[in-house]
Amino acid sequence: MTFTERMLKIDRRIIFLVIGLCTLLPLLYPVGLPIKISPEVRGVYDHIESLPEGAVFLLSLDFDPASKPELHPQSISLLRHAFRKNLRVIAMTLWVSGTGMADQVVTQVAREMGKESGKDYVFLGWSPGGTAVIINMGQDLYGAFPADYNGKPTKGLPVLQGVANLRDVNYAVSLGAGNPGVEAWYVFGKDKYKFELGGGCTGVMAPGLYPLLRSGQINGLIGGLRGAAEYEILIDQKGKAVAGMDAQSATHLAIIVLVIMCNLFYFSSRKQRVQGQG
Amino acid sequence: MIFLRRQVPLLITLIAGLAMAAQYYVPHPASEQMLTSVTKWLQIIGGFALVLGVSSLFHVHAAKIRRKEAGWGYSFVLYVSMLGTIAVGLWSNGKEAVDGTMTAFGWFYNFMMVPLQGTMFAILAFFIASAAYRSFRARSREAAVLLIAAVIVMMGRVPLGEYLIPLSGDLSQWILNVLNASVRRAILIGVSLGTVALSIKIIFGMERSYLGGGKE
Repeated sequence: MTFTERMLKIDRRIIFLVIGLCTLLPLLYPVGLPIKISPEVRGVYDHIESLPEGAVFLLSLDFDPASKPELHPQSISLLRHAFRKNLRVIAMTLWVSGTGMADQVVTQVAREMGKESGKDYVFLGWSPGGTAVIINMGQDLYGAFPADYNGKPTKGLPVLQGVANLRDVNYAVSLGAGNPGVEAWYVFGKDKYKFELGGGCTGVMAPGLYPLLRSGQINGLIGGLRGAAEYEILIDQKGKAVAGMDAQSATHLAIIVLVIMCNLFYFSSRKQRVQGQG
Repeated sequence: MIFLRRQVPLLITLIAGLAMAAQYYVPHPASEQMLTSVTKWLQIIGGFALVLGVSSLFHVHAAKIRRKEAGWGYSFVLYVSMLGTIAVGLWSNGKEAVDGTMTAFGWFYNFMMVPLQGTMFAILAFFIASAAYRSFRARSREAAVLLIAAVIVMMGRVPLGEYLIPLSGDLSQWILNVLNASVRRAILIGVSLGTVALSIKIIFGMERSYLGGGKE
């Protein structure tokens, strides 16, 4: 077996080790390279900035713990921004396995910003039905969620004053890791009930949502950890996303180098084979 | 019996399908009230579907354990974990925390489910890197185009890439906004037309596989 053939069949544990080191070292020794703000992330930020105090902001945390590293920092940044602008926040989830995590993040940020449950924000929790919940909220919010996550009746909550259904929401953002997520909120929500919609998603999902973005069906998109890092910079509160960008830079570069190496070895071994046959 | 098993479900599908399709274009309060009622029913059915799914899962794995099929140990672990979680969840009234204090269910959620799911997703990075090394080769012109596009997007999406090749950020944005969005849109239009065609076939009883029972 030649050197190139040996390199093409390299033990995958070596690749695992390279990726592990590329993730770990930048977390231990951060570099802090500048992060450029993309227009799609700015779209969400600018819209929240333009909302008047007391406007209704709905945040649907449609993800489970598997997507926590990317979508949790996005949730924190969006909630901080909304609370700083004194918006009335309605938080919920369409993913049952994400309910506990969503409750934690909303409660944690609300406490940090000195906000009161029921008055400044409400966490509705999860309700069965998937996309049907969106339609039901569009028809009658109190029918879809008669009580909030803590069991308090939603009717009469000061935060929901003047809110009967999704038509009364000024801006909604879905942080989705799959279905139901951003697309479902557009198809079953915005299209019929005419509220402004933004999105956030994992890095792998972002390319799939660009058609919605380009046609104006969503007015902004926070894609993956990079999007979360951009948002942290926009609100001037750097957190886990900015800290993770160096690690992501290193792993991306490592994968690019590995792909280039594998192609070099591949062409070299092909050339050797052709020469051998000649 | 055939009438109850075939004709009645087909009739219900026809009426419900046509009514719901027409409802979208009729803003009359009666039509809106119908939508409200139907979606409430959908939510209720969704709750029952969850029960059905869990009981079906229990049934499948109970059979595996009883017959001692290959991998029955995993089914046993599933049983223990699921029953344990249900018991603790009921005991904690389905709440992860009460007045800021973590419940037993919260402990299960935070220290078992969150790290397990996080780990599953995190190890993907290692497998993707290994798979990329083994299979991402420019074997043809099309593969070479894909490879170059992937490298540009990977560079343009991280600060280090933009620092080393400043143009990569704008190039990656162009690939995502123009090439990717147009192709995705074409796929979306195709999928949507397919969905419309399938819906029409289901509503008018041409597609009956959802009724089960194999071929007629």
